[in-house]
Amino acid sequence: MNTQFVGQPIRRVDGRLKVTGGARYAADFNLDEHVYAVIVNATVGLGRIVSIDQAAATRLPGVIAVISHLNAPRLAYHPHKGAIDPATGERLHVLQGDQVRFYGQPVAVVVADTLDQAERAAAALSITYAAKRPAVDPSASDTTEIMAEASKGPKAYYPADTARGDADAALATAPVRIDAFYDTARENHNPMEPHATVARWDGDRVTLWSKTQFVVNEQAEIAAIFGIPTENVQVISPFVGGGFGTTLRTWSHVTIAALAARQVGRPVKLALTRKQMFFTTGHRPRSLQRVALGATPDGKLTSIVHEGRGETSRYEEFIEALTAGTGFMYSCPNVRTQYRIVPLDTGTPNHMRGPGEAQGMFALECAMDELSYELGIDPIELRRRNEPEIDESTGKPFSSRSLMPCYDRGAELFGWAQRNPAPRSMRDDREYVGMGCASATYPVLFSPTRARARLLADGTAEIEVAASDMGPGTYTSMTQVAADALGLPLDNVRFSLGRSDFPPAPPHGGSQTMASVGSAIRAACAAVLEAAARNREVRPIEAEGSAQRDPEVAARFSMHSFGAVFAEVGIDSDVGTIRVRRALGVYGAGRIVNPRLALSQCTGGMVGGIGMALMERTMLDARDGRLVNAHMADYLMPVNLDIDRLEAHFVDEEDPHVNPLGVKGLGEIALVGMAPAIANAIFHATGTRLRNLPISIENVLTA
Amino acid sequence: MKAAAAGYIRANDLPHAISLLEQSRGEARILAGGQSLIASLNLRLAGETALIDINGVAELSGIELVGEQLRIGALTRHRELASSDLVARHVPAIAQAAPLIAHAAIRNRGTIGGSLAYADPAAELPACMLALDAQIVVRGPAGERRVRAGDFFVDLFTTDLAEDEMIVAVEVPVAVAGERQATMELARRSGDYALAGIVLVDRPSGVRAAFFGVGPTPILATGAMAAIDRGASPDEAAALLEGDLQPLDDVHAPAAVRLHLARVLLRRALAATRS
Repeated sequence: MNTQFVGQPIRRVDGRLKVTGGARYAADFNLDEHVYAVIVNATVGLGRIVSIDQAAATRLPGVIAVISHLNAPRLAYHPHKGAIDPATGERLHVLQGDQVRFYGQPVAVVVADTLDQAERAAAALSITYAAKRPAVDPSASDTTEIMAEASKGPKAYYPADTARGDADAALATAPVRIDAFYDTARENHNPMEPHATVARWDGDRVTLWSKTQFVVNEQAEIAAIFGIPTENVQVISPFVGGGFGTTLRTWSHVTIAALAARQVGRPVKLALTRKQMFFTTGHRPRSLQRVALGATPDGKLTSIVHEGRGETSRYEEFIEALTAGTGFMYSCPNVRTQYRIVPLDTGTPNHMRGPGEAQGMFALECAMDELSYELGIDPIELRRRNEPEIDESTGKPFSSRSLMPCYDRGAELFGWAQRNPAPRSMRDDREYVGMGCASATYPVLFSPTRARARLLADGTAEIEVAASDMGPGTYTSMTQVAADALGLPLDNVRFSLGRSDFPPAPPHGGSQTMASVGSAIRAACAAVLEAAARNREVRPIEAEGSAQRDPEVAARFSMHSFGAVFAEVGIDSDVGTIRVRRALGVYGAGRIVNPRLALSQCTGGMVGGIGMALMERTMLDARDGRLVNAHMADYLMPVNLDIDRLEAHFVDEEDPHVNPLGVKGLGEIALVGMAPAIANAIFHATGTRLRNLPISIENVLTA
Repeated sequence: MKAAAAGYIRANDLPHAISLLEQSRGEARILAGGQSLIASLNLRLAGETALIDINGVAELSGIELVGEQLRIGALTRHRELASSDLVARHVPAIAQAAPLIAHAAIRNRGTIGGSLAYADPAAELPACMLALDAQIVVRGPAGERRVRAGDFFVDLFTTDLAEDEMIVAVEVPVAVAGERQATMELARRSGDYALAGIVLVDRPSGVRAAFFGVGPTPILATGAMAAIDRGASPDEAAALLEGDLQPLDDVHAPAAVRLHLARVLLRRALAATRS
């Protein structure tokens, strides 16, 4: 393939728009005569709305409507499951009844001429509840774990149970054993841009300027909820100011914006506050896990047991890849995994960067580190001794696997040889210094995608796909792919995304945008070149192309990215403060389309991993389910001053099987290995094994 | 979310500001750097209120040496504290504290008067005033009065200021010969309010240790101070902090951790001033 631009560190083609404020995000769209909607959220964690007194609110200046279950129209809510929705259960039906299922559930919406007026009226609404005590702690005795419907059976995508050999028997007789419990916190995605939707009805057609990572699903879902044809919904989402998964689903506020606009007969703008984002836009579920490893004295794994539990809501069964990596990471004859979910009185969780792998690999990779100390074998060497020839969970060969090359290159770049293997042996002034490493993995997804390419008379080209760009640089990388496919300069290619009337793209998540959208664009470009060759007169000329994974390839290969992550921490010996002094990741992720963007994406993911390891935790009050720290002062995420040196490197990896571009995706894997690398470094620094995330000062002090 | 301000007026000079304050009958707030006030308004933590902007009041600016006192105008920005030679020479505890306050953008706008009037118990400057035994110069319709820092911070976010009074300056005793000062703090995340912090003023005549983040106001550790003055070891003095401080559990750290951090900080600050 022509690679004049693919593989080059091209600067963001939309960079200038972004830094000059020219990029328009959902709430930036202003329509004539638009009014503002503000959601009122439940202040109890479970129960029923007894009364809503809106007299005072309605009298306030500018108030146009107060809409609640008392006066909202019954919406169609036709069955609809997007690729990203939980397979079992039913989405929250908003403003349709008096039941409160979780703290912060929308119970009313106020529409007014200005935002201030709407906020004021929202605060003036008087609502009484009959409250019950919600169950919000998955480790508490008032909860029960269940097997998710969609995880039942051996063919489930995330099976509840898998086994090869007899892991429990092998564990019982293993000469060396590790058996430990791990607990990772509930987290919220917290992208910079708040969720927002501007809705306008024209008859029975609605246009939504909305923040979404899944344009065509937003269209289909709103059509289903309102019972109108799909083509009657137009979604426009040119820019997404960060997502990390939270905008993969179409949450209730989108419905509320559309409902409010229809009720008042004017366009409505609705933006969530930061606090509201914690309530109703999904979260990474807390996980409770056990990992047990058995090994021979020379470090050959004989048994892996991985049991994991994740949170879900009462009304949907959210499942993710919590135990999915365990079966193929290492060679081991006896492996058993178990995955259960615990329904709670909270909103439904959602995929958050590295969904499932981030927590599951935390447990597995910490356990591997524990085993390495138990055996007295270097942690990298331990992984080398258990490097599999094939994917032992499926019996298929890997399409490519560069885990050990990643470790070797990383060890060299990081200076792993300088590490004194003994815990608590390295110091720098007042700091205990520790070095840790961990493996990362994420599957290579590739979903059916269509793209449109158009050649214009002036020699330029237009490419259109209903994709999203939440920040990784979709605009830029797709322009590179199209320019190469068409043999045009970059400046002659205009790539557009974020409209539901463009050819459909899969969710902008799961690290599959480059693979799916990029491959479809190549196909569309080839098709338009062919059409243009047949017909040299007509311009503009356009063609569509599509791409999807060949089922035969999928049947033959196990396809995953792998990476090795290294971290060095410094721990103040007296006060327990933890600092990530430097971190480095090396990834085998196939072809790297744009090294500049890839570096940015990976270091961003590493920062997310530092947050997961040391700071991020959404806290719920056990009495009423209230979110205790639903704002940026108390929900800690790293700031620039907390981040020292981060490096990301890529090993050369040619994989002709995964997709036509040979790309494996980077978004998720960049976060996956970071938390265990840090936890392992903390053990090396202190000699204390900390298995609950986030790790904080008091954990270090009281350990 | 945008602030819900009910009105805004810019004061031309100090008498104008005072008269506006008096007329507002407690309904208005002084707007200086706005780094806490505007955020509170945005979050609706402060009610709808009128703002009296004092940023144009020239009398409130400036740092000058007046006899044995350093007079710091209420509008002095944290950044100016951090870069002032006078501050560095005469009250090094403040020079050390200033860079610890939040982030650069906040230091560029935030003022010393604002920080003291807001009286966040985890803030650096109130503890500086307490440790340095500074006087807060306050003016209202009845004229000017001076309040010792020890009397100024009454409770959580509560000061001795009357409704119609505002801070115009602070007067800080300058360091005497042989005096050493140290400000230190610990936070989980850079730029956040401290989990615990100390301002130690080590004078030949006696030591003053003010802690922040470990009680409803900045707290003078009188038990530990007396012990140090009696010649107790740093460890012995640190052990007495349990009686001096009133740390609370919150989402960022349990009380016991805060007390531990305070003890470590006392030992470290003493090591710094007596090295």
